[in-house]
Amino acid sequence: MDAMTGTAPPRTRPKVAGPLSPLWPFLLLLAIGLAMPLTGNAYWGLIATRMAVYWVLVAGLNLIVGYAGQLAIGYVALLTIGAYTTSVLAAGNVFPPLPAFAALGAAGVAGAVAGVVVGLPALRLRTFYFAMTTLGFATIVTQITLAWQDVTGGGIGIAGPEMPEPLDTTWGFLYFCLGFAAVCTWLTANIARSRFGRALVAVRDAEVAAEASGIRKPRLLVLVFILAGALAAMAGGLFATLQTYITPDAFTFDLSLLFFIAILIGGRGSILGPLLGTVILTLLPEIAAPLAAWSTFLYAALLLVIVLAMPGGIAALIDPRSRRKLPENRVITPRTAALDALLGQRKVPEPMRLSGIVLAFGGVRAIDGLDLEVAPGQVHGLIGPNGSGKTTTLNVISGYYRPEAGSMAIGTNPLRAGDPEGRATLRIARTFQTPRLIGEASVLENVMIGGTIDGTAGFAEALFALPRHRRDERELEARARLALEAVGLADLAAARADRLQHSELRFMEIARALMLRPAFLMLDEPAAGLSAEEIRRLGALVRGISRHGTGVLLVEHHADLIFDICDQVTVLNLGKVLAAGTPAEIRVHKEVVSAYLGA
Amino acid sequence: MPISAPERSLLEVAGLEAGYGKIAVLHGVNLRIGAGEVVALLGPNGAGKTTLLRSMSGLLPVTAGSVTFDGQDLSRASPRDAARAGLVHVIEGHRVFTQISVADNLLLAGYDLPRRERSARIEEALSYFPEIAAKRHDRGGALSGGQQQMLAVAQGLVRRPRLLMLDEPSAGLSPVLVDRVLGVVSELRAKGTSVLLVEQLIEKTLAVSDRVYALAQGRIVLEAGAKEGDLPHRLEHAYFGQDVPTALHA
Amino acid sequence: MLASIIASGLAVGAVYALIGITYNTMFATSRVMSFTAGQLGMLGGVFGSMFMLRLGLPVLPALALTLICCALIGVVTEIVAVRPVLKSLEQHLYVLTTLALALLIQHTTAMEWSTEPQPFPRLVNFGSGIWDEKYWLPVVVCIATIIGLEYLYRRTLVGRAFVAIAEDNFAARALGLPERNLRMASYALAGAIGALAGFAGGQLLLAFFANGSLLNFYGFIPVALGGLGNNRGAVIGGFVLGLFQQAANFMVGGIFSSVAVFTLFIIVLLAAPQGMFGAQAARRV
Repeated sequence: MDAMTGTAPPRTRPKVAGPLSPLWPFLLLLAIGLAMPLTGNAYWGLIATRMAVYWVLVAGLNLIVGYAGQLAIGYVALLTIGAYTTSVLAAGNVFPPLPAFAALGAAGVAGAVAGVVVGLPALRLRTFYFAMTTLGFATIVTQITLAWQDVTGGGIGIAGPEMPEPLDTTWGFLYFCLGFAAVCTWLTANIARSRFGRALVAVRDAEVAAEASGIRKPRLLVLVFILAGALAAMAGGLFATLQTYITPDAFTFDLSLLFFIAILIGGRGSILGPLLGTVILTLLPEIAAPLAAWSTFLYAALLLVIVLAMPGGIAALIDPRSRRKLPENRVITPRTAALDALLGQRKVPEPMRLSGIVLAFGGVRAIDGLDLEVAPGQVHGLIGPNGSGKTTTLNVISGYYRPEAGSMAIGTNPLRAGDPEGRATLRIARTFQTPRLIGEASVLENVMIGGTIDGTAGFAEALFALPRHRRDERELEARARLALEAVGLADLAAARADRLQHSELRFMEIARALMLRPAFLMLDEPAAGLSAEEIRRLGALVRGISRHGTGVLLVEHHADLIFDICDQVTVLNLGKVLAAGTPAEIRVHKEVVSAYLGA
Repeated sequence: MPISAPERSLLEVAGLEAGYGKIAVLHGVNLRIGAGEVVALLGPNGAGKTTLLRSMSGLLPVTAGSVTFDGQDLSRASPRDAARAGLVHVIEGHRVFTQISVADNLLLAGYDLPRRERSARIEEALSYFPEIAAKRHDRGGALSGGQQQMLAVAQGLVRRPRLLMLDEPSAGLSPVLVDRVLGVVSELRAKGTSVLLVEQLIEKTLAVSDRVYALAQGRIVLEAGAKEGDLPHRLEHAYFGQDVPTALHA
Repeated sequence: MLASIIASGLAVGAVYALIGITYNTMFATSRVMSFTAGQLGMLGGVFGSMFMLRLGLPVLPALALTLICCALIGVVTEIVAVRPVLKSLEQHLYVLTTLALALLIQHTTAMEWSTEPQPFPRLVNFGSGIWDEKYWLPVVVCIATIIGLEYLYRRTLVGRAFVAIAEDNFAARALGLPERNLRMASYALAGAIGALAGFAGGQLLLAFFANGSLLNFYGFIPVALGGLGNNRGAVIGGFVLGLFQQAANFMVGGIFSSVAVFTLFIIVLLAAPQGMFGAQAARRV
């Protein structure tokens, strides 16, 4: 796994745990499942099979709820669709009967389509709205199965598909489901560990940073909805076989709740956690029979307790990284030498030019005819009083705001207004006033987000961990380690990002931006909250980055830093350029001093 | 006119630390305001002036240090407690309520007052600003930016504060209106109300102030009498500092 | 037939509108959409039936007790499911906490009250056929509620404080308004409005635990149509939804009418995510 391409000096490199490591809990659960026949108790075999079937659904749903953070509550709808599709096709009451496996495959296709239909509102709607639509969808699907009697048998129901020999026995079917579940675990873990999985979490926790890294949320979510929908529907097919006979009553809202809560109990951004959650929630009513009637109550109470008291779920309890102590008195020591390996000496890009930019919010002109030129290889400071339009300017360049007038270009190529996700392809990177990070992910993974667009392998290749995907991962990791080396956080690569200090997060954001090997880098108040010594190191780092050909646009309040490292300074006041020139010129500029000091 | 800090301080801030989440903004601020004193708080952007005001009025939790107002510990107080004690904070950006009338905006400022006193207090606050008194039945949203700022100050006055903290009352106002608002500060001073004024306009601010504090990077870097000579130069020195890191240019 | 579509459409529409107002009332002071809105409506029917039929109380004391009980549940919602997650509003944890609380309420009702719909008595003995009180009580209550709320928001100090908190929570706190108490009060008010919806619609919907999730969904649609926090929009949206649903009921039958409503809901939401009277949300960089 250690195919370093750079020239960084060898040093101890903390290993970053993947979603399947450690592997032994998964193997232990599998072994327990495989050993079930030894008990000779067919009922327990049934329970184990049910767990495996539920997990097939939850594994896929986990990517949506646990990773992408979309509150898809009514996923029993997909189970229903899969169960009925398989049963109806195998029974042959619409088309000639299909073999069970073909029916299962068809259910997967139907589930993929339905998964996208259920998921589409998530691309446009806010959280609560989306939760509501999935709930509505679950109700509708149940009502259709009731009403469409010719096909589904209505309230009377329909027989589930029968598996061919030797899978038609309790134990044969158990082994089949366990195998299926194991494969699903592997597939979803592959996605979770890939750039797609990281992008999902980025969309959840740091949407703006995800956009700046070139992650296109709709495309990404649709791919995951297809996968989760297919898995859920196939789980439905297995569920129908397990039940031997299905009626709409079998698909209660309780099941939806079980799937959803299993993930939250398990913890977001984990695979082992939700797996354990599924096992526990399936077992719970079995262990305590009197509780069966109160299972919904129990699930709901668990949900409340988890959210209020243990937001990290089981995963946080078993995650060694949340306990391991980080060294005290850490010092950030950027190594500009690593920049050589990371950025190289690139063809100097052309300057970025903004001319006549105008942007108003509700009648107030935040930017009022701004001209700005950021030259490659230089540090350009942007200063001015609060509300003078500095961050707004960055947001216009980043494409978050569309200016009402004016033009932007890099060299002779016009820079399209809007389109924040397109900036990464143009090698325009940025950091934010408040660091945007994924707290639960490691520092290394946070940084790797920045290189998302440089992956070459597609979703399917990542799903099956094909060679091109593995090469992508190696290269991204090597580059991320170089970037961390450059900003001075190499030793913290494996630490959870939410355990870092504020100043370290600022440098981590710069490392993430460097993953793009940016032609232009925009820094929004990178020195805010840093100590004087850290500011000095930051200055040297920014200087170093610009000397590798990158044009840096620096918004900052610390006048000392600006005057120290900038080649050019533009002073804004009320959205207009008040002055522009070298730091030496600006320092003595009468109007600037008065605007800045407010005399 | 007191040049040094007065004997009896109304407000005493000691070792105050506060911030947003992981970001520490204030690193041990000490500050005193005497009864009837107008104190200006100056400093460059991002120095922590607004944060300081917010942590004093209870809008932002205090991480360490203490805020004592007239002998009463306000370090853990809510904005409501602070206002009841007589420490009133007019926040930046003339954020009045646009959906309700001018009179109702003032009525809300007097939410805690006895019902009988409210209308008298409102009239009293409006007497400082005849230009909005004429518009008392208009919605807050119908006022101009300058009038909204006057309304925000008037809201603070309804409480008859002993210390009024004004956060950039002149931002976005025309020079005439700035003089109007700062004129009210002088009127208040004449009536014995203390004022803590955060401002960008140094000269005009110094003209109405007794003393000055300058804040930079979360620390008080200068304390002086407002009429001391050479203040602008000393301020510049305090902000940009000569003790900054040495040049990094290769 | 048209007359009965209109009568029943307006009646259920009024109930939906009231649940929509319940959502809005909670949202205004907390920026939280709570899944308990529909459950409060369900409880209005259940408590009403319990106090009048099981305990034999007259209408007015039963109504008062129902309002008090639901107001208390509103306050509990605020304390248990809303206040603890307000600090991290952007994580949308309230979706989970209020869902959990809603399920607890619903399941407790199912276990302790009944899993079958229970009858709800006539209240004023007025009319029959399409002029039956069961159709017109909800409409009257809905109109009375909206007038009452307008009075509250425009004429009383507490009401103006609600408006102020809804517009700018931070400025309201800075002004020294007792923001937490006002939020609790607005949840109590929401509880009472939900109770009114269930009580007035009791003869139509009966006292049935499953009404909770139903009202949650159908009460949310007027909010989505009218725009978050817009009570007048919710009333218009509620009546439109009620009439549409009842018309679809008569024309394509009960089950497919819910499919039709759901489809309409999705289409409207995707076409106008802010609702038809709502405002654009601000950018978050």
